[in-house]
Amino acid sequence: MRTEQTMTLEIFRYHPETDSEPYFQAYEVPYDEDWVVLDAINWIKDHVDGSLTHRWSCRMGVCGSCGMMVNGDPKLTCAAFLKDYYPRPIKVEPLVNFPVERDLVVSLDGFMEKLQAVKPYIIRDDVNDTTGGEYRQSPAELARYKQYSMCINCMLCYSACPVAGHEEEFLGPAALALGHRYNRDSRDRGRAERLDVMLAGEAIWGCTFVGECTVVCPKHVDPAGAIQQAKAVAAQEYFKRFVMPRGAKGAET
Amino acid sequence: MSGRYHRPHGWAWFLARPGYLRFMARELTGFFVAGYLVLLLVTLCRLGAGEAAFAQWLQELSTPSWMFAHVVALVASVWHSVTWFAAVPQAMPIFMGEKRLPAPLAAVVMGYGPWLTVTAVIVWGVLR
Repeated sequence: MRTEQTMTLEIFRYHPETDSEPYFQAYEVPYDEDWVVLDAINWIKDHVDGSLTHRWSCRMGVCGSCGMMVNGDPKLTCAAFLKDYYPRPIKVEPLVNFPVERDLVVSLDGFMEKLQAVKPYIIRDDVNDTTGGEYRQSPAELARYKQYSMCINCMLCYSACPVAGHEEEFLGPAALALGHRYNRDSRDRGRAERLDVMLAGEAIWGCTFVGECTVVCPKHVDPAGAIQQAKAVAAQEYFKRFVMPRGAKGAET
Repeated sequence: MSGRYHRPHGWAWFLARPGYLRFMARELTGFFVAGYLVLLLVTLCRLGAGEAAFAQWLQELSTPSWMFAHVVALVASVWHSVTWFAAVPQAMPIFMGEKRLPAPLAAVVMGYGPWLTVTAVIVWGVLR
């Protein structure tokens, strides 16, 4: 419900063509208790400053596009209500641990590379063979990975992870959780290929189980739990390859 | 004209979120656990050195400063254990068919239960 009241949004601004350093710009927006932070940013872009750049799409917590730092917390701005902050000002910044392209937009390049590295799809040789019917899966087999399949790639977990910001080799919470999701899928045969990637350098071992990725996840994926489980599998695989360098690779456990 | 902007990482990153401080507390209390293990090893060495050496060591441990150190080590060790017990259900989920054992129950089964059992056995062994 719209009222006569207003509130202040302090928004991170950075235009690479003109700015050598970012700065914060304050905007007064109408206070509507039904509004989320994304509504207020859209209002600014539509009514005050068309040069403000941000990313968004579905407005319903599904697409994962509108992740930003809201008063220091990584949030989907479509799910962060103004009434939870009113009357204090809200500081909006682009997600931390990512290079800033422009204003509130971060670069996805590094994240996409890491996501692709874990091969987030079902791998099997007979993928085109449908003569045997569908690949059946029991509810118990589905339960083993379902939670980790709910990721919307919003990257909030990367902004909450101190390791992701300091260790370039670390694949990060979402990519590792997704890799673990496919490793636990009873239809998949690609675990050895993914473990090749996970065992390299700090790819998975960089995780120190801070756990904040799980705290901020809007879909309750629990990437921290997925990574610890994946570490246990990776450790078994590491010792198998150490003891049987020729025979262990690719063996299912 | 500077392209992408890379925000600097400060040394005080662990002050940015309460969860980071809890993480640091969990990790740093591990030093007290390790320190107490060293203390136990020294105690064993003194025991091996004879009755008189062991009695003198026990007398040294009963001074106020050592008692204070024991209390601090106990608090730190309990905190360290509790935080890891809370994390165990995440790292080692237990499935019963398609149902996952609730985290508090899993923490009891894999953490508090064995902890209390081993403690009870040690106490029984010492007091009997």
